[in-house]
Amino acid sequence: MLIVDSELCIGCGVCEDNCAFGAIEVVDGCAVVSDACTLCGSCVDSCEVEALKIEGGEKSVQVDLDSWKGVWVYCEFRAGALAPVSLELLGAGRKLADARGVPLSAVLIGADTGESAEKLIGHGADTVYRIDNQALTYFTDESYGAVLTDLIKAHKPEIVLAGATAIGRSFIPGVANSLGAGLTADCTQLDIRADDGALLQTRPAFGGNIMATIVCPSSRPQMSTVRPKVMQALDFDEARQGEIVDVAPDPASLQTKVRVLESVISEQDNVNIQESDILVAGGRGLDSEKGFKLIRELAASMDGAVAASRAVVDAGWIGYPHQVGQTGKTVAPKLYIACGISGAIQHVAGMQSSETIVAINRDEDAPIFDVADFGIVGDMFEILPLLISKIEGKRGS
Amino acid sequence: MKIIVCIKQVPDAKDVRLDPETNTLAREGVQSIMNPYDQHALEEAVRLKEQLGGEVTVLSMGPPQAVDVLRQAISCGADHGVLVSDRAFAGADTWATSYTLAKAVHKIGDFDLILCGKQAIDGDTAQVGPGLAIQLDIPFVTCVQKVREASGTELVMERMMDDGYDVVAVSCPALLTVVKDLNEPRVPSLKGKMKAKKAEFKILSAEDIGADSSCIGLPGSPTQVVDVFPPPPRGERAILTGSIEEQIEQLVEKLAVYL
Ligand SMILES: Cc1cc2nc3c(=O)[nH]c(=O)nc-3n(C[C@H](O)[C@H](O)[C@H](O)COP(=O)(O)OP(=O)(O)OC[C@H]3O[C@@H](n4cnc5c(N)ncnc54)[C@H](O)[C@@H]3O)c2cc1C
Ligand SMILES: Nc1ncnc2c1ncn2[C@@H]1O[C@H](COP(=O)(O)O)[C@@H](O)[C@H]1O
Repeated sequence: MLIVDSELCIGCGVCEDNCAFGAIEVVDGCAVVSDACTLCGSCVDSCEVEALKIEGGEKSVQVDLDSWKGVWVYCEFRAGALAPVSLELLGAGRKLADARGVPLSAVLIGADTGESAEKLIGHGADTVYRIDNQALTYFTDESYGAVLTDLIKAHKPEIVLAGATAIGRSFIPGVANSLGAGLTADCTQLDIRADDGALLQTRPAFGGNIMATIVCPSSRPQMSTVRPKVMQALDFDEARQGEIVDVAPDPASLQTKVRVLESVISEQDNVNIQESDILVAGGRGLDSEKGFKLIRELAASMDGAVAASRAVVDAGWIGYPHQVGQTGKTVAPKLYIACGISGAIQHVAGMQSSETIVAINRDEDAPIFDVADFGIVGDMFEILPLLISKIEGKRGS
Repeated sequence: MKIIVCIKQVPDAKDVRLDPETNTLAREGVQSIMNPYDQHALEEAVRLKEQLGGEVTVLSMGPPQAVDVLRQAISCGADHGVLVSDRAFAGADTWATSYTLAKAVHKIGDFDLILCGKQAIDGDTAQVGPGLAIQLDIPFVTCVQKVREASGTELVMERMMDDGYDVVAVSCPALLTVVKDLNEPRVPSLKGKMKAKKAEFKILSAEDIGADSSCIGLPGSPTQVVDVFPPPPRGERAILTGSIEEQIEQLVEKLAVYL
């Protein structure tokens, strides 16, 4: 509960202004807290007269925090390949591990992982726990979850990171829950707090309208899923030394109630738009499925992938895996080109953290221009063919 | 088939905007809506009921006004609604929310299937569904995009993956989280609206569900928010000028690093 000490409160209203959730109002010279309060604590820090405090704050079940050591990265491996985010996380994990003065370990789960473990060492891991077993050919939440949970219990790492991918965001919540550990979803920034070595996990919330920094003060491990494309992988260094530890899974963890009957890799290339550096997105302004072809051509001309607004997904011009936004995917490519997209908040929520945003729209008042770094006001059917040939010309030369 | 659908009331995204002057969320007159993904979970539950018989119970944890989304669910075909509501739940993270919902599910009793949305659009975590399944010790499948076959005891469905989809089978009881592609939610019928108007809802407190006070609300939450701040501002918007050819010329220049 957020408690206001009415004796101390001077009704200055600083807390009211500081509350991101509009949960505090000064009534008759004293702060009053409403149900909208999320106990985030911003007001407590802002109050100059120390009239606010959060009570019952600490989770009562304390664990022996010091016995948890080391930084771990779950390195996703599917259909014969490591997910690129795994290497990015080793880059991020390396920094965290060095800041803490502890080793960095990678966890590799799958079947026929080949040289992947060596690759993980070259990209920064000190140790790779490899669980390579035919029963792990297909991902299931139960088997992958049980294997990772058992390893964490046995080795007690202080930090566990995983990619915020379909697989990571599916089974990591189950692992965290069964360990009673805190888990922060879809982080975009990770730091170590200087005073106590806690992991500061920063992530967007409310469709990217606010950022929140989260800590796990009294539970271990501290777990985060991290958005692809925001962390930096280290260059592969063949000379790096590390240890590969093969772990045999407990046969019980390979028994699953969910059975994978078939794994279908999409025929359309690049459905994994979250891993793409360049996205060309089309909206209803394309007028028809035929118009949408221009988007594919522009994407192809820059080796990018195709994204879409909900309106065109609903119209059936392209599949749901390509939808960007609140009810689709959140993407953060280096370059996002929005063509014939109005820029409704639900769409913007999914793409506003892209590095560079270009908008092409004939309506100069379209809200998409508010988030765009470069805008062209005009008719796409005129602009896109010119743009495509210009780019092809430039790349060809 | 007995189905429970977990529904969250969330602020409508188009109303949640950051006030550029004060850097706070301007929430004046913010509308609350049923979490969009949960509408698809509800629709699938009602379809399964229509196909296989049974009943649909909707469950929400939230402040008293969250009964509004339960009422809306009744108008779209749900049979019963349960709200767990208590000041002691305030500040709950996904762990504490999963725990609380699990306790409420035990209170509701037998079930064959639990459906959740993939994620709530306020927190965007996608963690409560899997967490709830773990708490209940039942299998779960996330991001279900299509139910291919359903009997009272087994389901075959497609789970959306980054590179395509997996076809998976699971026997009941199980928990699924669903994405938008699954179905098209219906609009309430007149009969449904009448029913919703008269519907009464069970409101359960922390004590009613037998929750351990150290596992709920802020004290039960392993994660804690220590700071909230606006995202870094984007650069000034820049609309290019000149003839179309000139604008394209400029754009290609600017994008040279990416080409
Ligand atoms: C609960 C909920 C969730 C939602 N989730 C999402 C989501 O995840 N993703 C999403 O995208 N949307 C989402 N939406 C929908 C969103 O509100 C918008 O309706 C949608 O994004 C609009 O798509 P659009 O920009 O393609 O179409 P429109 O809004 O119709 O915009 C078309 C644009 O094209 C321009 N145009 C037309 N012709 C031309 C031309 N010849 N040349 C140049 N420009 C042209 C027009 O000026 C216009 O700005 C959601 C809505 C709700 C209620
Ligand atoms: N307070 C709540 N009450 C009921 N269901 C919830 C609640 N919070 C989350 N859920 C369910 O869990 C899903 C995922 O939410 P989240 O993990 O918060 O993104 C939602 O789509 C709901 O089905």
